Amino acid sequence: MIIIQYLINGIMLGGIYALLGVGMTMIFGIVKLTNLAHGEFVIIGAYASTLVAQALGVDPILTLIVTVPFMFLLGMGLQSGLINRVMQKGSEPALLVTFGLSIILQDAMLLLFTADARHAGAAYSSTIIKIGSISIALLDIILLAISLLSILILTWFLNKTYMGRSIRATSDDTQAASLMGVSVKKTYAIALGIAMATAAVAGLCIGLKWTFYASSGGSYLLIAFGVVVIGGMGSIPGTLVAGLIFGLAQVIGGANWGLLISYVLLIIMLAVRPQGLFSK
Amino acid sequence: MENKTLASVRKPIKVLDGKVMLIVCIIIVAFLYAANIFGIFSSNTMRYLMKIFLYITMGEMWNLLSGFTGMTSLGNQTFIGLAGFTVAVATSTYNLPIWLGILIGLAIGVVVAFLLSFVLFRMRGMYFAIATWVIAEAICTAFKSWPYVNMGGGMSIKAKPYPKTPEIYLMALTLFVVAMIVVYLLLRTKTGLGLTAMRDDADAASSVGVNIFKSKLLVYVIAAGFTAIAGAIFFINKGTIYPDSGFNIDWTVSMVFIVIVGGIGTVSGPVVGAIVYVLLDEFLAHFPGWSNIILGAIAILVILFLPDGIMGTLQKKLHFEIFSQKRFSEHKKDIGKKAQLQ
Repeated sequence: MIIIQYLINGIMLGGIYALLGVGMTMIFGIVKLTNLAHGEFVIIGAYASTLVAQALGVDPILTLIVTVPFMFLLGMGLQSGLINRVMQKGSEPALLVTFGLSIILQDAMLLLFTADARHAGAAYSSTIIKIGSISIALLDIILLAISLLSILILTWFLNKTYMGRSIRATSDDTQAASLMGVSVKKTYAIALGIAMATAAVAGLCIGLKWTFYASSGGSYLLIAFGVVVIGGMGSIPGTLVAGLIFGLAQVIGGANWGLLISYVLLIIMLAVRPQGLFSK
Repeated sequence: MENKTLASVRKPIKVLDGKVMLIVCIIIVAFLYAANIFGIFSSNTMRYLMKIFLYITMGEMWNLLSGFTGMTSLGNQTFIGLAGFTVAVATSTYNLPIWLGILIGLAIGVVVAFLLSFVLFRMRGMYFAIATWVIAEAICTAFKSWPYVNMGGGMSIKAKPYPKTPEIYLMALTLFVVAMIVVYLLLRTKTGLGLTAMRDDADAASSVGVNIFKSKLLVYVIAAGFTAIAGAIFFINKGTIYPDSGFNIDWTVSMVFIVIVGGIGTVSGPVVGAIVYVLLDEFLAHFPGWSNIILGAIAILVILFLPDGIMGTLQKKLHFEIFSQKRFSEHKKDIGKKAQLQ
């Protein structure tokens, strides 16, 4: 029974981790950029949801109506205003610029929101459903549903819409896509916009499930990166499986050792099979 | 096209080395030592200079990895933290003298770098960068649950008598001088020239006989060793070390800033970068919380508008190089002289 309980807890966490990884994998696979500021984007999303929910006195999940478009536009602006320009100089300057962005954002949040722990509370936060000897938090089920739904919508968007197809085309062959009339820069801007939008949703999940700080971005970045590397860059199913692996590692190892297990897993994976389990 | 190449060849590059420059450098170093012995500097000045020396050393090492070898590391803090903790454990748990602690710290840094190289050198580019960071975070996390290093509670460095500022200043100055000489001499050797070749095109370099693994290993171990000693001296000055301060990503932030602003891929760049960084850091201490925001913004602006950094841009504009690691052929120098005559 305890194994099933672990498995369920792992799956619940895995959904959030997969969502963390999806934003990273989009940028990795499409823009070919390692976005070291993704963790900070997620924390911005967490603050946005928490603050809007507090200000309006609504359920934190409803704040997505505001935070998702806000983060999407922020991402588009960032890509077209800054990152597109640096990317012309090569991949290492671009990597270092996202690194610079991450420290700027982290300290800006520290200034704006202080170093206090934050948490987005909801009415159903402490409800627990019991099935036999297995207990599941209602919150976990809701967060898993939100994560999976977001990933599903994204998959549908990438596969079925014109914009999604042009994004995938750019990812496969930038030159061919631009010859077919796809504006590469615009596609990149939309890709970062979408990545930021997923970060907004992931941020909400993190804010609901755990307490977070202005400085929490780094550890979520490493989880996101781990999910991407283990799943294979640009692969959404791979991201789901890798999210589950990380979730299980966390549940089995507890907070500190779980993190260590994830790191070691990630390093082994990087050394042995850097293209990931599910690469194209 | 041809005209352009010719024109660029014609412009003579003045290489500032030879006896005169060597004497200038010796005078500067001798002054820095003498000032300490005769007590010319106030202890505040010494503290600034000490910081500058340590940051130059760390910057030179990061530059050696990223600027000259193409291994952009985000995890050099691994060696800073390891060496800092080694000194703390050696002096407070085993009552060893401080110099022995530094030596053990150096040894641990070198051994860890050697072991890590088997994993790290399988990766290139951003994979390498992230892996180095993950390793630093992993060690930090492990230290937080390891009773031997007092878990997350921190450790203090104990020594009787505890080294005073002038003594720590001397350690930092000596480290800086040795580091500069090692970097310059290394880059002048055949291996050193192989490094830049490797950075620009690993496959081409390998096909003309550069042993990639060996060269990378040599550079990585040297960088780890010097970074470790710099970290040890830094924490001796500080007195206490925590996992979060030893393995902090902020170390990499400062190294990246120093090298980018000073000029990536130049030997003199990190010297200028470190001076700018330490002065700026002191100035920004008046605006708590803003320091990383301003440093980050400056770094991004430099990458966008001055990608060669301060020294790189000056060298390109004014056609000079200080103690260049490049070997200019006599032929090129002749063309330069002819151009001057015309």
